[in-house]
Amino acid sequence: MPEVFIDGERYIYEGEQRLLQFIQDLGKEVPFFCYHPSMSAPANCRQCMVKVGQPIKDRETGEYEVDENGDRVIRWFPKLQTACNMMISDGMVVHTQETDELVSRAQKDNLEFILINHPLDCPICDQAGECPLQIQTYKYGPEGSRFEVKKVHKPKRVQLGPRVILDAERCINCTRCVRFTDEISKTHQLTITSRGDKNYPITAPNTEFDDPYSLNTVDLCPVGALTSADFRFKARVWEMNQTPSIDITNAKGCNIDLWTRDNLVLRVTPRFNEDVNDHWMPDEGREAYRIFNENRISRPKQKLDNEQVQSSWNNAFATISEQLEEAEKSDVLFVASPHASVEENYLFSKFASLTGYRTPLFTPHIEEGKGDGFLITDDLAPNTNGCRLLGLEEKSASEIAKAVKKATVVILLGDHLVDRGILTSEDLKEKFVAAFATNNSETTKIADLVVPITTAAEHAASYVNIDGRIQRTFPAKETKYTNRRLDFEMSEGRLDRYGTSFDNWVTDNNKVDCLPMWEIMRRVAEQAGLEEFQYGSGREVMEEIASISEPFNGVSYEAMDEQSGIQLDSIKPTTVQS
Amino acid sequence: MSSADWKNYEPVLIPQIRDLHKIDVYEKNGGYSALKTVLTAKDKFPDQKSVIEEVKAANIRGRGGAGFNAGLKWSFMPPADGGPRYLACNGDESEPGTFKDRKIFEYNPHVFIEGALIAAYAMQITTIYVYIRGEYRAYIQMMEKAIQDAYDKGYIGKDIFGSGYSVDFHVHSGAGAYICGEETSMLESLEGKRGYPRVKPPFPAQKGLWGRPTTINNIETLAHVPSVINRGAEWFKGVGAENHPGPILYGISGHVNRPGVYELPSGVPVLDLVHEVAGGMRNGKKLKAVIPGGSSTPVVRADQLDGITMDSDSLREVGTMMGTAGMVIMDEDTDMVDMLWRITHFYHHESCGQCTPCREGTGWLEKVMLKIKNGEGEVKDLDLLLDITTQMEGRTICALADAAAWPVRHTITRFRDEFEARCKKSVHAVA
Repeated sequence: MPEVFIDGERYIYEGEQRLLQFIQDLGKEVPFFCYHPSMSAPANCRQCMVKVGQPIKDRETGEYEVDENGDRVIRWFPKLQTACNMMISDGMVVHTQETDELVSRAQKDNLEFILINHPLDCPICDQAGECPLQIQTYKYGPEGSRFEVKKVHKPKRVQLGPRVILDAERCINCTRCVRFTDEISKTHQLTITSRGDKNYPITAPNTEFDDPYSLNTVDLCPVGALTSADFRFKARVWEMNQTPSIDITNAKGCNIDLWTRDNLVLRVTPRFNEDVNDHWMPDEGREAYRIFNENRISRPKQKLDNEQVQSSWNNAFATISEQLEEAEKSDVLFVASPHASVEENYLFSKFASLTGYRTPLFTPHIEEGKGDGFLITDDLAPNTNGCRLLGLEEKSASEIAKAVKKATVVILLGDHLVDRGILTSEDLKEKFVAAFATNNSETTKIADLVVPITTAAEHAASYVNIDGRIQRTFPAKETKYTNRRLDFEMSEGRLDRYGTSFDNWVTDNNKVDCLPMWEIMRRVAEQAGLEEFQYGSGREVMEEIASISEPFNGVSYEAMDEQSGIQLDSIKPTTVQS
Repeated sequence: MSSADWKNYEPVLIPQIRDLHKIDVYEKNGGYSALKTVLTAKDKFPDQKSVIEEVKAANIRGRGGAGFNAGLKWSFMPPADGGPRYLACNGDESEPGTFKDRKIFEYNPHVFIEGALIAAYAMQITTIYVYIRGEYRAYIQMMEKAIQDAYDKGYIGKDIFGSGYSVDFHVHSGAGAYICGEETSMLESLEGKRGYPRVKPPFPAQKGLWGRPTTINNIETLAHVPSVINRGAEWFKGVGAENHPGPILYGISGHVNRPGVYELPSGVPVLDLVHEVAGGMRNGKKLKAVIPGGSSTPVVRADQLDGITMDSDSLREVGTMMGTAGMVIMDEDTDMVDMLWRITHFYHHESCGQCTPCREGTGWLEKVMLKIKNGEGEVKDLDLLLDITTQMEGRTICALADAAAWPVRHTITRFRDEFEARCKKSVHAVA
């Protein structure tokens, strides 16, 4: 096995590896800015300098030369080397800042250089708190600056595109954003302009940075040079809770983090998953944070004299039971949804089958030509495959419309069929329509009963993506009936640990009055005299699905958490991540 | 021909022949005979390898500044695999104080073209680019004309001299960036990209232009090739200094009576070049300092110059380098602070901005120098400048940071009194 010595420790390695990545994978640290594991290594920030040497080998015997103590004789590179683009070779000896004075000196010198023209406006910078420059300066930087002359001034507040704003003075010219548009999104929309200390990234004249993946550059930026037009100045990162979740705006199921404060989702960032989205996600998925906050249905609503009025939960459940009892079984139609989770759809179909109704129908939500073969798919729903695997009846839009027209009681699960243009308000007249939904829409507007359910940001639930990978969300924000401190699934932020409920940013204002589907179905089932819906959480629902449904055998929340999602055998991946 | 005998040297690159830039005149004076020998005289040069061996034996040290044996560089090209291979000729010539290639473009373009063709043949290259700095507008046009003439005469193009060897020759104009004279950023520029130096390895011989094997030579280096072929490696090696043989184009500028480009053997004493070749100091002033090879090479005080000759070994004794042999001669009235500020201004303006130490360091150097120049500096600033140069040197992708750091370090250490005199008295003074 080839070996490498880092700070005096011996490690074995396999294959071709970049030194910096190898050191990182060991859990050790060398500071850097421009390197990114998914992109090329231009070695331009010069921060990851280390001392590298190679043992001298006897050409004839192939033996290592040794000195009088029996130690290998090392030939050091005459200059310090950047670890990011240095490939490890057998016998290599590396000294990092931990063990070499010259290396730590060089790293400190480099940070001094980076900071001389940096505005040091951390107090008003969005990046503060999650800024590699800030963190590494504290760890490795000089204590002060000897720079006593004027800094370079460059453009500020440049609207590069609809979603990204540039502050060129903060830029340290790492070219990560430029390389992202060259190598990952391949739109080539950014380049570096000007020379020397005047240079900064910009688009070509009269063009916009409207790359559908543009906000990834904001995550990549190791300083606050690129900020999100939408999120900037909204919140400090240390005031927010970070909760892992899944992008529900398309079928790819990008792994994401939801950032919440005071029960509002303030931003969405991608979470690394090699098998799904690597480090990236489309901009569309980030803008979806609004659906968790805005236009939410809170408390059930019921139609009275053709007008929707606030109702109560008891009333809502009683109304459903009444309507179901009165109608002929064949006149009742359950419409499931690819927008809802596996658990929600399962509960829906379980209820239908136990009470002798027709298996729920669903129709995929496809927009032909929208997909790009990368992280945007034609399929706009996160769980089309989940509906298929649960054995729900897949129907075309016109078939669904036909079936709805025939029924007298229609129960919709989260799919806004009127907004999608599949049904008209005419079609739903003279029927009883119940809608289980998260947000107000044209569809819920005409429903006779609207039952608010939790969003992906409020419950734990699973979704099967386009490649047949089942992944789950975590509750990120509280509903009126949940409590961050009591729910172990919810993430603990700095304020949860150190703040008090009197901190002015913790209020009850943004808690939505809604229930998870398993609780709603338990209450509906109880009214119908069924005992089989005694669930205490989404986790129990998934355990039941896994035990009785073959495609889901072996699936559990624990397994999904451990393996960051599980590839289901029954669906072949349509795309292969390189 | 020894260096001492320089007065009897007969120029080969820029001989005194009227209208030598015209192809007819060049042919009449033995032009393109070396190319013909290489391509057709199988007894002398049975294959391409023999050409490389001859050039290697001549030890033409690269005239662009690095001084690497050209023939050895050629031998690094991997074996031909049928795919494209390139020769990129570096005529960017942007170093302040350097203007020798211009003389070739203007006065004897065909000797360079012939040399490039021989090099291309030796390395089995079928495409040659010559990269000329954009400011040389007139010479770019002259070069294009010269290449067209050579095409018309059949020296470039298909099946040259019936040997079966074909090659194409293109001129590419730079757009005013010093950094594009650095060999790998010149390749980027040729590819139509921003002139950022590349990380080495891979070296251009493995992955150069468009990822293919590429050799990069200076214009003057290639211009020496025809005479090596015509007169033999032994002749070339016998000219001038032993370790840095051959004729050199000395570009002499500054406070002398006859500035200009002079072709002489290497190893001519610096003081001879100043006082005899260039006609002595202007207005009878005293010599104060010499920058021997373009602005990045460390400046040398006049009192250090006794017995120093223009070859790498001798110049190393006084801590400087041969560079491009673009000599800047300064008289006693020269203000070294102003001179150094101007040099730092140049490197600040020309740093490409890719690597942190150079991007930030060059600007810092200039700003502190400006402060000192304006009489607002303090003595501690001089030590700061020296510190900055240490922080820059050897920590970047290309050598521009070194090129920017050396003049600052050496000018301050060699003329420290003058710098301190310009600094204001300060309580912080540590000197």
